[in-house]
Amino acid sequence: MKPDAMATVAAEAGGPHAGAPPVSVRGLTVSYGDRPVLRSVSLDVPARQVVGVVGPNGAGKSTLFRAILGLIPADSGTVRLFGAPVEEGRARVAYVPQTEAVDWDFPVTVFDVVLMGRYPRLGLWGRPRAADRRAAAEALERVGILEYKNRHIRQLSGGQQQRVFLARALCQEADLLLLDEPFGGVDAATERAIFDLIDRLASDGKTLIVINHDLSVLDRFDLLVLLNQQVIAFGPPAQVATEENMRRTYGGRLTLLDRAEAALRERTTP
Amino acid sequence: MIDVAAQVMWDWSQWAAPLSERWWQETLCSVLVGVACGVLGCFVVLRRMALIGDALSHAVLPGVVIAFMLTGSTGIAGLFLGALIAGITTALLIRFVSQHSRTKEDSAIGIVFTAFFALGVILISSMGRGTHFDLKCFLFGDPLAVGRQDLIMMSVVAPIVILTIVALYHPLRLASFDPTVAAAMGMSVAKLHYLLMGLLSATVVAGLKTTGVVLVVAMVITPASAAYQLANRLWSMLLLSAAFGAVAAAVGMSVAFVTNSPTGPAMVLVATLIFALTMIFSPRHGLAMQAVRRWRAARHFHSEDVLKSVYNLSEQPGALCAVEDVARRTGLSVGRVGRLAAELKGRQLLDETEGQLRLTEAGRRQAIEMVRSHRLWETYLADRARIEADEIHAAAERLEHAHELADEIAQTLGHPSHDPHGEVIPPPESRGPNP
Repeated sequence: MKPDAMATVAAEAGGPHAGAPPVSVRGLTVSYGDRPVLRSVSLDVPARQVVGVVGPNGAGKSTLFRAILGLIPADSGTVRLFGAPVEEGRARVAYVPQTEAVDWDFPVTVFDVVLMGRYPRLGLWGRPRAADRRAAAEALERVGILEYKNRHIRQLSGGQQQRVFLARALCQEADLLLLDEPFGGVDAATERAIFDLIDRLASDGKTLIVINHDLSVLDRFDLLVLLNQQVIAFGPPAQVATEENMRRTYGGRLTLLDRAEAALRERTTP
Repeated sequence: MIDVAAQVMWDWSQWAAPLSERWWQETLCSVLVGVACGVLGCFVVLRRMALIGDALSHAVLPGVVIAFMLTGSTGIAGLFLGALIAGITTALLIRFVSQHSRTKEDSAIGIVFTAFFALGVILISSMGRGTHFDLKCFLFGDPLAVGRQDLIMMSVVAPIVILTIVALYHPLRLASFDPTVAAAMGMSVAKLHYLLMGLLSATVVAGLKTTGVVLVVAMVITPASAAYQLANRLWSMLLLSAAFGAVAAAVGMSVAFVTNSPTGPAMVLVATLIFALTMIFSPRHGLAMQAVRRWRAARHFHSEDVLKSVYNLSEQPGALCAVEDVARRTGLSVGRVGRLAAELKGRQLLDETEGQLRLTEAGRRQAIEMVRSHRLWETYLADRARIEADEIHAAAERLEHAHELADEIAQTLGHPSHDPHGEVIPPPESRGPNP
């Protein structure tokens, strides 16, 4: 599909919400059992931006993604994708999970995995056609691992494995991409290649939200979300990544809220 | 032994013989069960649901018994309905227990299905002696209990299973491989899960008299696990698993038929045999290939050790040294060194005359590579990995075989000239005589 044709489709898909931000989160609170993970998170991610999400372990970064994708119920708050409810907007979203969560012994080849990206277009009863196979091959070409397409996923290096899942997201031709730690376990060259790909996607008009652990590359993002259960700060890296904010994000001290939760838990559970 | 043989002979004449119409009917029915179980088993294995498969099959027993009590017949439709209700109740109870107590899901499964199974056994025992309900046939399968009705039932269920899997191949593969992404794409992952469970229950119930409830789970997971050892694609795993299931079921049924023993155990043992063979002979993961790879690696490392020892033992280039000395230095047996030497001679790295070894020029170059690699690794371990001095030699003995990395280590370390023991590290292009 040509870029302008794609823009038309995107505008049509957007319909009355064409100008709406790709992700709009309002007062989102999510908990696992009685342990809150996200507290009253509000975010508007503008289109065509590369947004980095940073925060310590357990800060709720992956939970934020799961909530955006409608995979976990929220206690309160709303998520809208391109101005529409999650169920309608999710067709325009691609999600790249952490490679640690992947079953590497599953009997699939690289090409099989990338072709899975066409599922939203095919539906439950559809079967991939020549056009879908072409799209999968193009996606593999773009991430530079087309030559490995017939290999089993186990027979790839860490960086190549990461690219397989990026290729699957590309193959979805989504307008919003959520990448959960794409730089985990990859070498410096792959990290550069992935950043180049991210930049190219952004210049193609895509919006990307990237969970990231490497604090040395924060300036590569257009916007940063500092997250630790709440949004500590959200804005351009130069303004947001201050020493004070980083300390508030990564500081180990329990907040009064945490202590209140702990006290409540003690009372409600035997 | 004679008694057993006589018994078999007696059964043979008493009951139908192989290739009779009766035998065909039962074998065809069991092949259908084997194929359906094999195909569904692939998803059970890949989704790690072996325990829940076992639970479903055991839990249908009380449903079957209650249906029999109510209708007073072993008509397949009534039993099917009873089993279906029992299966759904089990699934719901498992969810209830794991959500409303501290119990983890696997324990919840164990608690619920054993309770159901126990209830089924007690209900059967409570029935009068005169009733036509053969417990053993439902527990372990009986070749003679399989009738035309069962074959008809299986001829409906097996094609439904296969067609569903073929039609939903892509969604099922995605949901099994990556359930989170499947859900993110808007797929109803839970519905597919219950569809698989439903198909599995239907297969178990339709094949009830063919396999029995106790061991049917083996027909689900064992052929699929055997196929998993061999296949790199899901469709090839499905085909192999179906074939293994069919073979195990047909052979098991025939054995049970001829010996008039329960069918379930016979089928399971054939399936297990197939699994054992794949475990040993799988080209990629098999134990046999692993042993061959280990043996080849050991031979490769030992011959490199021999080259290095001959080099270290020779005072000057081209000097001879005894096989026994090399054996002592490498810790290998004299016979082993002799065989390795003969092989190295074939590769023109070594000359051997009457138990005396001498390096050729090519052999000398390779030995120097090994020495260089060993000393570089020692330096690296001491400088970078901070390994204790008395451990670095042993570690380097192993690592030196990764000599293709030598240049990279040298570069990382800034081309050191001596190792931690003060020995000279030969330069990479060292092709001249030993200094």
